[in-house]
Amino acid sequence: MHGKFDDLGRFTDPSLLILTSLADGPKHGYAIMTDVAAFSGVRMEPGTLYGALSRLERRGWVRPLATAERRRPYEITAAGQEVLAGQVTAMQQIVQVARLRTATAWGA
Amino acid sequence: MRPGQAARLSRVLVGCHPRRWRERYGEELLDVLDQHQASARTVLNLAASAVSTHLDPAYRMEGFSMTRLRRAALISAALAAPFVLFAAFFLYGMWPEHWQPTTDDALGAVAFSPHGAILVTAFGESGDGVDVLWDVTNLSRPRRLSQFEGGEPTALSPDGHTVATIAFSGRPALWNVANPRRPVKIATLPCCDGNLLWGEAFSPDGQILAAAYYDQIYLWDVADPARPRLLRTLDAAVTSPPQAAVGNSLAVPFSPQDIAFSPDGGILASATGTDQVTLWNVTEPAHASRIAAIGGAGDFIQAFTFSARGNLLAAVTWRGTVLVYSLADPARPVRTATVRGLLARARYPGGSSQPDQPTCTTCGPASYAVAFSPDGHTLTVVVAREETAPNDAGRDTAFAWHVTGSGALGAVTVAARDVADSQPFLAPGGRTVLGGPLESSAWHAWALP
Repeated sequence: MHGKFDDLGRFTDPSLLILTSLADGPKHGYAIMTDVAAFSGVRMEPGTLYGALSRLERRGWVRPLATAERRRPYEITAAGQEVLAGQVTAMQQIVQVARLRTATAWGA
Repeated sequence: MRPGQAARLSRVLVGCHPRRWRERYGEELLDVLDQHQASARTVLNLAASAVSTHLDPAYRMEGFSMTRLRRAALISAALAAPFVLFAAFFLYGMWPEHWQPTTDDALGAVAFSPHGAILVTAFGESGDGVDVLWDVTNLSRPRRLSQFEGGEPTALSPDGHTVATIAFSGRPALWNVANPRRPVKIATLPCCDGNLLWGEAFSPDGQILAAAYYDQIYLWDVADPARPRLLRTLDAAVTSPPQAAVGNSLAVPFSPQDIAFSPDGGILASATGTDQVTLWNVTEPAHASRIAAIGGAGDFIQAFTFSARGNLLAAVTWRGTVLVYSLADPARPVRTATVRGLLARARYPGGSSQPDQPTCTTCGPASYAVAFSPDGHTLTVVVAREETAPNDAGRDTAFAWHVTGSGALGAVTVAARDVADSQPFLAPGGRTVLGGPLESSAWHAWALP
């Protein structure tokens, strides 16, 4: 997901990145940012992170856990997992078609 | 922006979020900022977040703090200012190459102030166009001053303070452009509803406005433009179009140079859709009368002009014949020159003698502009030949003749340029051709060699 497309802001929907980051266990804000940067190369700014987190929380796709000092971990909910799975399936389909078509067109 | 500065601003911006949001996320966000290396991007991002959270209905309902929102908006504006300035400089750098008003319509009409310092261009449908005022003191670097929705401009008063347009209603309208950055509508002249307005002209002293309609010419006293006074109506009998000449009378295009005062203001010349130029004695406008008619060769007059001394009148016809008349005795004009076959010498884009696509049957053969040089020694006629739509290519061919003292035409020089033109216009002095593409609102000027 890292590359030229990042500049266009495509395929890097913050909500999707956050859900993906939380899929393997609860994380607090800064941990999400570093994790997202590590697996996608997207350097998410705090304003974007918390804007997306508050929307995800309102939709019930993530849930805040008890605060440890000033840090509050977030956990993906069952609904969030379902949404993420749906998104991943849709993206897989896009990837599959893209691979097939680029292979046909470029003979790769 | 220095990191310390960015970190401080970021913290201020966290405080600019709605109260309920801060209570919920403020502490965590500050904690993240403690660990995050803040940059200008972080600051912009938080400013945007503060504004969008305030606009979020979930938080807008409660504790909507205008002062905080205002603070966030001010900080955002301060941050955005350098970018706006940069964009403005960037656009300014592009200015000389592209002068585009906010419409995609073609250049419909232009009017120069007599000394050529101010230019009005109109785009769009006749009578419903956007007019743009330009400072053209330097024609190669026009400065856009303002725009107004006035219709086609057909004349600028000699003092450059008043533009006469064809308003949406089809009536003549006057606009005050004394302050060219703030045009103000002065008056709509009540007359002639439903008639086709052909053109307007100010007398050299700016006191009289002449407007030509299908079969009538109206003379107004516009000494006080806010109170125009109708002085006289002249019957400009329209001869029926010579069918053999054009096949279809509707094919005769609107000619931009169809009414003009002589330089001394004593004669008004009109060519309202006929094969003649009629001369009127307007020394006393309230008692104006017809003194002569010239032409009548069964070929429409498309454009005409007086020489600066007023002793000559040159006209171009529909089929590309140039006629020059001596007006030593205006009651008995004498033809001093006739040049035929201009169309055959004016080529299509690329210099070809045939258009790429078959010419449409209702299209005219060409559009024309004509002007004498200020010393009267040169006569310039520009012939614009267009390709048929959708191909919008065109070619301007400029013929410049030496004019002898008696009004005969001598040696000719020819210059041509491929353009994307419809109607060409000659700037005062007759050395600069203006035109605009059919499909866009840009215009360009090219200087004759």
